[in-house]
Amino acid sequence: MRRSDLGEFEEVVLLAVAVLVPTAYSVVIAEALEQETGQTVSTGAVHAALQRLEQKGYLRSELGEATPERGGRRKRLFTVTALGGRVLSEVRAVRNNLWDRIVPQTILTWS
Amino acid sequence: MHAESSSTPNWSRGTGPPRWPERLLGWLVAPHLREEVLGDMHERFYQRTQRLGLAKANRRYWRDTLAYMRPRFMKRQPQEYPNPTFSDMIRNYLTISFRTLSRNKLYTTLNVAGLSFGIACFLLIGLYVFDELTFDRQHRKTDRIYRAIQHKKTPTEDLTIAASSFKVSEEAKKRIGDIENSARIVRTGRANISNPANKNSFQETIAFGNAGLLEVFDFEVVDGTIRSALTEPNTIIIVEDLAQRLFNSTQVVGKTVDFELNRPLRITAVLKNHPRNSSFTVNAVVSEATISSDSEFTDWIANWDSQTFQTFFLLKEKANPDVAAAKITQLLNANMRHEPGTSVAYTLQPLADMHLFSENIVDGARNGNVEAMGQGVLLYIKLFAIVALFVLLIACINYMNLATARASNRSKEIGVRKASGAFQSHLIHQFLTESLVVTTISFLLAVGLVNLLLPAFNEFTNKELSLGFQTDYRIWLYGLLALVVTGLVSGSYPAFLLSGFSPLLLLKNLKLQNRSDLSLRKGLVVFQFTISVVMIIATIVLFQQIQFMNTKQLGFNKDLLLVVDINSGKVRAGAETIKREFSRIPTVKQVSTTSRVPGEWKTIPTVRIKTEGNADEGKVAYWLGVDENFTKTFEVQLVNGRNFTGLRDSSSVILNETAAKLLGINQASGQQVAIPARAMGGSFHPLNDANTPFNARVVGIVKDFHFQSLREKIAPMVLGYEHNPVHNIDYFTARIDGRDVPATLARMKDILASVDPTHLLEYHFLDEQLARFYAEDHRRETLLIWVALATIFIASLGLFGLATYAAEQRIKEIGVRKVLGASVGSIVALLAKDFLKLVIVSILIASPIAWLAMGHWLDEFAYHITFPWWSFALAGFVALTIAFLTVIFQSVKAALMNPVRSLRSE
Repeated sequence: MRRSDLGEFEEVVLLAVAVLVPTAYSVVIAEALEQETGQTVSTGAVHAALQRLEQKGYLRSELGEATPERGGRRKRLFTVTALGGRVLSEVRAVRNNLWDRIVPQTILTWS
Repeated sequence: MHAESSSTPNWSRGTGPPRWPERLLGWLVAPHLREEVLGDMHERFYQRTQRLGLAKANRRYWRDTLAYMRPRFMKRQPQEYPNPTFSDMIRNYLTISFRTLSRNKLYTTLNVAGLSFGIACFLLIGLYVFDELTFDRQHRKTDRIYRAIQHKKTPTEDLTIAASSFKVSEEAKKRIGDIENSARIVRTGRANISNPANKNSFQETIAFGNAGLLEVFDFEVVDGTIRSALTEPNTIIIVEDLAQRLFNSTQVVGKTVDFELNRPLRITAVLKNHPRNSSFTVNAVVSEATISSDSEFTDWIANWDSQTFQTFFLLKEKANPDVAAAKITQLLNANMRHEPGTSVAYTLQPLADMHLFSENIVDGARNGNVEAMGQGVLLYIKLFAIVALFVLLIACINYMNLATARASNRSKEIGVRKASGAFQSHLIHQFLTESLVVTTISFLLAVGLVNLLLPAFNEFTNKELSLGFQTDYRIWLYGLLALVVTGLVSGSYPAFLLSGFSPLLLLKNLKLQNRSDLSLRKGLVVFQFTISVVMIIATIVLFQQIQFMNTKQLGFNKDLLLVVDINSGKVRAGAETIKREFSRIPTVKQVSTTSRVPGEWKTIPTVRIKTEGNADEGKVAYWLGVDENFTKTFEVQLVNGRNFTGLRDSSSVILNETAAKLLGINQASGQQVAIPARAMGGSFHPLNDANTPFNARVVGIVKDFHFQSLREKIAPMVLGYEHNPVHNIDYFTARIDGRDVPATLARMKDILASVDPTHLLEYHFLDEQLARFYAEDHRRETLLIWVALATIFIASLGLFGLATYAAEQRIKEIGVRKVLGASVGSIVALLAKDFLKLVIVSILIASPIAWLAMGHWLDEFAYHITFPWWSFALAGFVALTIAFLTVIFQSVKAALMNPVRSLRSE
C-alpha cells in the first residue's frame, strides 16, 4: 500500500463521500465535515481534495441536476470507485491493527 | 433549469451573494470549473444566510473565495488549437526588436543618442516649468487660500495692489460667513537682527504677522510649536538659516534676539527654510501683538481704506471666492465714504496664482524699504514648454526618418512575415515595440544625463530641482507619458507605412521606392532644420541685445561706482561729516549723497510739477534728491544752467531734458515751478498737512540719463537738492579708482562706525546692480543657446543617418559612375547636393519666422538694436556648415570606394 498517496484530509473527504453517496458533492461534504469537526471547512478546500482523489482514481464524478439555491447551476456528484473503496478498507485495517495493539493501560492514562 | 428568481422566495438582488467576489471568482476560476464552483458558493451562501444571517454569510463568502485562489482552479484547460497568448507575442516582439537593434548598431546608436538628448532636454525644461507651475502648493489648504487684492479707482489713476487695511482683514473674518480665517503680514523695512549674547548681527526685513498667518499656512518647524507661536507680544519666529547664523544652532526656542524695536523678542519657533518654490521669503516674522499698543499701529488700524497689510483669507470649504470678494467690497463700502470719483473694490486671487499671474498687481510692500515678492513670467514658461516639445519632436522625427529610410532593407523580413501569415496588426505591434524599446533605453539614459546636469542647471536657474525617488510622482507620471507618446509618435509612421505593403511586391522587387514616403522624409528634415535655424537666429538676436544693453551709453558712467546704503537716522544726520571723511580716503575720487541711485530697485518717488501760473494739477515726473557732487560723481552732463552750489540751493531744482521738454523750458533761468504732491508708486498725496506746495526755481538742465532699465523709455526727472521736502537722502555713492577695494570698504566701515556703532555696512557696485535688470534675459539667453545647440545636434544626427543610408543605397550607381570616369568631387557633390538643398529651403522658411518672433521680443525694450540682418546669413552659414560636415564624411567615403567591390557581386 502507498501510504503517501492519501493525505489525512483526503482520507476524511473520501470517507465522507462514501457516507453521503449518492448525493455527495462539495457543499454537502463541507457541511458534514463542519458538523463532525466543529471547524469551518471551505468548499474550496473540499473541492481541491475531491479533484485530487478523482485524479488518483479513488473517486468518479458526474454532473448532477441544477437547483435554484445554486443559482441554476449544476453540481458535480461523486461516488467512490472500487479502488477507492479498497484503499479505504486498507487504511482502516492498518488503523485497527495498530489500535488493537495498544495496551489498555496506555489508553487509560490518556483519559 | 429553473428560473432562479421565481422559485426561491426572498431572493432579490440585495440578498444575493456579494457581487465583487462573485465576479472575481468568475474571472479567475478556469471556465470548465466555473459552473460547479460558483454553484457551490451560491448554495453554501444561501444555506448560511438561513442559518447565520446575511452579514456572516457575506463574510464567509469572502473567506471561501480565497480558498479558490490556487493554481488548481485557475489553470485553464489546454485547447485543441494552441493560440499564442498576448504575452507570448510580446515576448516575441521584444526578442525581434533586440535582435534588429543589435544588428544595426550604427542606426541604434544614432537613434538612442538623438532621443536621449531630446528627452533629457525635455525633462530638464519640464522640471523647471513644473517647479514654476507648482509655486505655493506646499500648504495643505492652498486651494482655499486667497490673497486680497484692492482695486482703487480715482479720477487720476487706477491702482491694483495686493494690500488691504487692518479693518478689512479683521472685520471680514468676523462678519463674512464664507471666510474661515485671515492671515496678515506687513513688511515695514529692514533692520539689524542681533543675538545679544554674541553680537552676531544681520540685516533682515522686518515683518509683522498675526496669529492667523501660522494657522492658514503650513510652515514646517524645526524647533518649537507652530500654532501659538505668534499669539503673544514680543515674540518672533525665524527660519533655521537665520537661527544658524545668529546662534550657530537651530534649537533656539526661548532665546531672545534684538531687532531694533527697543525690546527683546523671544523666539517661539524656528521654521524650516522656505522651499524655493514658495513666494514667502521673509526670514523673521514678529508677532503683530508686539506693536499693537504703539501709536503708529493705532494709525494703521484706524482707516478702512489704508493699504498697509498683505492679507490672505482662508475660505470655508465650497465657498465661492467671487461671492466672498463681493461681500468684502460691500463691507468696506458700508463702513466708509469715498471721495467723489473714487471707488474701491476687492477681488480674491488664489494663492496658487500668486507667482505667475501677478504681473499687473502692485506689491503691497512697495513703500517699505523691502524688495517685492519674486515673480515668474508666464510667457516664458509657455515659451520654454513649447521649445521643450519641439526638441522632443525633432528627436522623434529622427527616428521616423531613419526607420522609413531603412524600410527597404527590411522589406524581405516584412514580406516573409506576411507570407507566413502575419496580420498587419502583428507588424504594427512589432514596429511599435521596437520604437518603444528604443525610447525606453533612451529615457533611462536621459534620466542619468539629467541627474548629471542638474547640479549645474540648479545653480544657473537658482532652484532646487531633483529627479530621483523623492521627486513628485506627477513628474514621473508626465515623464512616462512623454516616454509612451514619444515611442508611439516616432514608431507610428514607419509602423503603419511598412506594414501596409503588399507581400508579393515586397518579395518580388525586394525594393521600396515610394515617392510620397521620400517627400515626407524631406519635409521632416526641412522641419527639423527650420526649427534649428530659428533657434540660432533667436540666440544671436538675444545675445546682441544683451550686449547692447551692457555697453549702451547710459548718460552716466556706471563703472567703479560704489553705493553705500544709509540705514540709520544717525548716519543720515551725520551725512556731511561722513561724506567729507569718505572723500579723504585716497582711493575715493568723488562722493555724492542721493535719495535714490540710477538702477534702483526700490520705488523711486514721483511728483507732480507745474510751471508758474499753470492751473492744471501738474505733470508727473520722477524725483531724485542729490547733492552738488552728483553730476561729477556720476559723470552726468549739464546741458545748460548751473549745478547746485550748496545749502542755499535747497529750493532749486535741476530738470533732465525730457522733463524740460515736458514743461516747455529750453533754457534754465530760474523759472518758478510748484510741486504740490508726491507719490511712492501709488496715489499722490500732498507734501504736507497744510497742503502748501514746494516752490522751487529751475537752475539747470542735465542731459537725459537712464535711471531705469532699458525696457523703459527715459522718463521726465526732477533733481532736487539733498535737503528737500520730498524725499530723504538714502545713499552715499563713491567713485573709486578700483585699487584695493577691500581696504576702501574697511575704511568706510570704520568711518560709519564712528558715527553710529550699530550701523551695518551695506554696499553694492552700481554696474552689478544694473546687470541684475538683465539677469533674467541672460539666463534665458544661456538656456536658449544650449537648447539651440541640442536641437541642431539632434538634427545633424538624423542627417548623418540619412546620408549614410543614401550613400549605401546608391552604391551601385556610384560604382557605375566611377567606372565611366566620374571624379570623386563630382560624386561628393551629387550626394551632398540633395541634403544641402533641404537645408537651404529650411533657412528660407526659418528667416521670416525668426524675424517676426524676435522683432516682437525686441519691441519689448524701449531701447533696442535694429534687427541684425546678418544673423540670417550667419545662422544659414552655421546650419549649412554643420549639415555639410555631417554629410561630407559619408559622401567622401562612398566616393572613394573601389567600384570593383560594389559592382562585383550580383
